[in-house]
Amino acid sequence: MSMDKIVSGFFFILAMTLNFGFFIGDITVIEQHSAFELFAAIIINIIATILKLGDKTQLGAVLLATSLVADIQLIASATVWAFAEYVLGGLNVESTTAIVSLSGGALLANVVSVILFVGDTIKSKR
Amino acid sequence: MNDQIIWIVLKRLRTPFLVIIVTFSISILGLMLIPGADNSGKVYYMSFFDAFYFVSYTASTIGFGETPYTFTYPQRMWVSASIYITVIGWFYGIGTIISLIQDETLRKAINRNSFRREILGLVEPFYIILGYNSITKSIINRVNKNEFRVVVLDRSEEKIEELILENFYPNVPAFVGEASNQKMLQIAGIHQKNCFGVISLFENDSKNTEIATICRLLNKKVDVIVKASAPQHLEYFKSIGLEHVQNPFEIISKRMYYSITAPHIWLLEMWIYGHALNLRNRDLLPHGKYIICGYGRMGIAIEEGLKKAGIDYIFFDINSEEYKQRKDTTIFGDEEDVTKLLELGIMDSECIIAATKDDLLNLTILNKAKVLNPDIYTIARENSLDGINIFQAAKIDRIYILEQILADTTYNYLAQPLTEIFIQEIRKKDEEWAVVIVNMLHTITGANPDYFELQITQENAYALSLELSKETKVTLSNLRRSREDRNKLLHIVYLLLKRGEEIYLMPESHMEIQLEDQLLIVCDDEGRNDFEYIINNIHELNYVLTSKEKSYNFFQKKD
Repeated sequence: MSMDKIVSGFFFILAMTLNFGFFIGDITVIEQHSAFELFAAIIINIIATILKLGDKTQLGAVLLATSLVADIQLIASATVWAFAEYVLGGLNVESTTAIVSLSGGALLANVVSVILFVGDTIKSKR
Repeated sequence: MNDQIIWIVLKRLRTPFLVIIVTFSISILGLMLIPGADNSGKVYYMSFFDAFYFVSYTASTIGFGETPYTFTYPQRMWVSASIYITVIGWFYGIGTIISLIQDETLRKAINRNSFRREILGLVEPFYIILGYNSITKSIINRVNKNEFRVVVLDRSEEKIEELILENFYPNVPAFVGEASNQKMLQIAGIHQKNCFGVISLFENDSKNTEIATICRLLNKKVDVIVKASAPQHLEYFKSIGLEHVQNPFEIISKRMYYSITAPHIWLLEMWIYGHALNLRNRDLLPHGKYIICGYGRMGIAIEEGLKKAGIDYIFFDINSEEYKQRKDTTIFGDEEDVTKLLELGIMDSECIIAATKDDLLNLTILNKAKVLNPDIYTIARENSLDGINIFQAAKIDRIYILEQILADTTYNYLAQPLTEIFIQEIRKKDEEWAVVIVNMLHTITGANPDYFELQITQENAYALSLELSKETKVTLSNLRRSREDRNKLLHIVYLLLKRGEEIYLMPESHMEIQLEDQLLIVCDDEGRNDFEYIINNIHELNYVLTSKEKSYNFFQKKD
């Protein structure tokens, strides 16, 4: 058991769970999706990405790639939100759907990332 | 290799990124939770975007002011705390990035990368030169122009910088690296198909041996050109199959021998290396008694030459280092030295050779000898090219510059392989033969002829190769006709023809030329241009061969 594994595992899974927490709910109703949860999901996802930096192995590269996908999707989701709120003058069903579905895509990437991580852990002999 | 740089950067940037993210998110979260007031005094909570916008310009110290509404006191208290944490975090991140740019390891990795890319991009054949010094510099200067490209490795950073300042054109890729380091040799392109060879001319024989062995193991096909002066190393090199071993002392020994016994053979050899094609009086070595100062590698080599030539000689065993230690000076010529010279018989000797390792000592020995016996013929060994002017000013009759010899022979090997064969062949002939040849060259090509090498290929001789592939018979004498008037002769002489492994010295004029023949040709100023014009231009060649002008009429039937 290494501290490294605990920290990175913690952040990978937290990134996924927060993402899930934001995603769950009616896709057209913005009140069912907390802005704070999206904020937390973005921050934790970026931290998870940074933790994956600098791993030279094949698996490390794939993990980094999935994480980057999740980052981009979540940041896009937040950007759509800000754009709709301030530029278009308020959220409507279309933008709400876009925000939530973008985070749904990020969730998928996060799930892949966690599966890879768990798979690697199971394969490990120590 | 490319990945290496990215990984270095990513690894170093992990902590600063984390710091920035964490500090930013704490400040943003705080701003969102603390109630503010809008212009009318109503409670207002900052949105994500407001908070992110505010923290972004505050942390980066741009500071646009309080938006969207003037802050309340609780907000300001939070902002003052967050300024400290975000700005410090931001500066830490920026500082790390800047120090990363200046980082030695990263810079080296980037440099090595661009060096590698440059070499991968070389399409021309190239040689790897190990060690940058005056010898290799003069080789680069001559080779780099047309024949080959050059790649240089040197372990000293200063030397590499010196090379970069030279501004060679085309560019000479150079990198700091130990010559015996396999990885560096690989990066320098030893595995590449267009890598023709490795040149290692270090002073230290065992270093050359080490390098030659490594190069052989890395790539069997590359040519390794090494310098060696000790017999055991020479044998070792032969055993691992090196064709070209440079031994400057052996060259000097042979030159001594031919200079005494067959001055015209010597002259032809020296002419190949840039000497004028006539024997001056001071080029003739005397046949009387010789004094050789210094019994080192050079002394032994000269002894060998003199012995073979049957010349009387005596050794003056002077060791430059020992002399310097004993007398605390490199100026030769106190009373003890003079007596020694007189004892050796300087007055009735005809030649003195200063062959120690120290240039200044060599100079002063010869000066003293000249004072004692003004008629004596002086020969000096000069170790480095740097002091060449002093030696020329000292009016020494003959100077053997080791570095120059190495550079010349290596260049000839690389760029004019036929000249080396020519020198080997003429050494088998006698003086009378050489006199005839020299006279012939004088009458046909003038007092100071030039020479060039040529292989009959489609690229070098378009018209001729076309003609030859039609199985037309073309003899050497056919091609000697002038394109102005075919009854006149071009001012060229064929010195050597190489066909496969066969070598014809002074080929007969009725010899037929075949494709792929290599020719060594002597010419005057115009001869080379004319000759190359003829063998490349169909019409000129046709005129020279048949005296008929080829018709330019397209309607005429082709013959």
